[in-house]
Amino acid sequence: MVDEELKNEMSKQGIVTTTLQELYNWGRRSSLWPLNFGLACCAIEMIATTMARYDMARFGAEVFRPSPRQADLMIVAGTVTKKMAPQVVRLYNQMPEPKYVIAMGACAISGGPFKQGYNVLKGIDRYFPVDIYIPGCPPRPEALLDAFMSLQKMIDAQQLTGPNRPRHLNADAKSEFIVPKFGEHDLEPAQNSTVWKAPLVQISGTETDKSAK
Amino acid sequence: MTNSLYLPVIVLLCAAIAFALFTLLLAKVWAKLYSPHKSGSIKNSIYECGLESVGDAWIQFKPGYYLYAIIFLVFDVEAVFLLPFAVAFTGFSAAESVAMLIFLLLLVEGLVWAYQKNVLVWS
Amino acid sequence: MNLENIKSEIEANVPGCQLEFVLNPSPSAQHSLRLDHAHAVAVATYLRDAADLRFDFCSNVTGIDWPAKELTEKVKVKKLVDGEEKEVEEVRKTTIPGTLEVVYHLFSVEKKHGPITLRMSTKDRETEVHMPSLTPVWRSAEFQEREIFDLFGVVFDGHPDLRRLLMWPDFIDHPMRRDYVAPDDFEYEPTAHDAVLQRANQHQSEAIAKLASEAEGK
Repeated sequence: MVDEELKNEMSKQGIVTTTLQELYNWGRRSSLWPLNFGLACCAIEMIATTMARYDMARFGAEVFRPSPRQADLMIVAGTVTKKMAPQVVRLYNQMPEPKYVIAMGACAISGGPFKQGYNVLKGIDRYFPVDIYIPGCPPRPEALLDAFMSLQKMIDAQQLTGPNRPRHLNADAKSEFIVPKFGEHDLEPAQNSTVWKAPLVQISGTETDKSAK
Repeated sequence: MTNSLYLPVIVLLCAAIAFALFTLLLAKVWAKLYSPHKSGSIKNSIYECGLESVGDAWIQFKPGYYLYAIIFLVFDVEAVFLLPFAVAFTGFSAAESVAMLIFLLLLVEGLVWAYQKNVLVWS
Repeated sequence: MNLENIKSEIEANVPGCQLEFVLNPSPSAQHSLRLDHAHAVAVATYLRDAADLRFDFCSNVTGIDWPAKELTEKVKVKKLVDGEEKEVEEVRKTTIPGTLEVVYHLFSVEKKHGPITLRMSTKDRETEVHMPSLTPVWRSAEFQEREIFDLFGVVFDGHPDLRRLLMWPDFIDHPMRRDYVAPDDFEYEPTAHDAVLQRANQHQSEAIAKLASEAEGK
């Protein structure tokens, strides 16, 4: 293992050193192939990101695959209705490992402006793990590029071995998640409790807050 | 000494095949070492845009479907041949124009047949 | 286009139909006609086909849920109190049964006039939810009637394809009804207010109580 300082010095002299892990992560992050699907208006921004003006191809992600078998990045771009949620989860399950998820826009994160609607899922992270969240309604293409670069940094930091290795290198970690069923009143289950735990947040404007004022 | 002329080609060919096999083998070894195999019932199911597949893929189509295909071909071929015809129209002699008209007539004949069979009626 | 003229014209041409003129007291003064179920399709067909009306375009179909209303009014009643006849104020309570109402907005593309508004009500919002469909008259009503069937639960008789439109087939509630109770998924409401805030608070206190009981159990 070459230490960081020596490595920098050597690269200045024209000698490149690398490790298997770095090479592997470099390969993974430079060829992220997103799954070609959009759910609502955010998809328009996603399409704009791939076009010449914003040019996602610079990061190796220009190949939008029409089949989950060939994709390793899912950009959940738009409102996930409860009627659509099982399909989205099934698509995620059909993607081979390693797979990453970007939740794009307020709707995919939490339901957004439709949060209290009768047919809108309150965030796709209730059913499978999300790596990057982008707020915005819709987020601009720059935001998606930023999320993309954050994801690349995340992949760069992944370890091949050890207890912190990512899910796709861990044989015990499951890669399939429960596909919700259509129930009589709601999706069943309403959330995947192994993936999503309700955060106990201080709700703004509660009774105690009011009395304090 | 014809053999020696081809020698570099053979060497290159061998190198190319070896390189391909080596990278495939490397991928296999990598998969063995690091990437655990994770299959599941949902992952291996048929891809239907996220929906569960219903019924059998081996179904029979009605012969009416092929009728539509033929009518599509009539229009398609017509469009493909009419465009160059229209571009070169001013330079045509009488004989060429007549030949093109006969060709069009054949296509129109197919259209008339379809019209008589009520294929073009959309309800 | 005067709606009262149209009303009298329809009554003259569709025998037996009972139309009710519903006055809109607001400045917009968009009055409407309430149709009876038995003659609804006949009246609609007449509106579409009559040479001087030609309402050929149904632009919008909407549902309204009117819950049962309880009216309290004070009435002066003459009563015998202690052998004497006195005027006594009495509180009377009357309940107006709830109905489901469907509103159609019609325009005429040919005559360039409109809109006129048609209404139809079901007898009851719980048990008698049937209503004649106007889809055979205006095809554009098809999806909107399906949506009203889905969200309000009005059953349109004579509709060619009455299935749920927005919700899944196994869903049994009707989300746009006023007594619809949304599923309790108010776990995470960072910017809640009003009714949502109440439910989020309630949900959170339940969650905390559950956590506390689990901790005690351990």
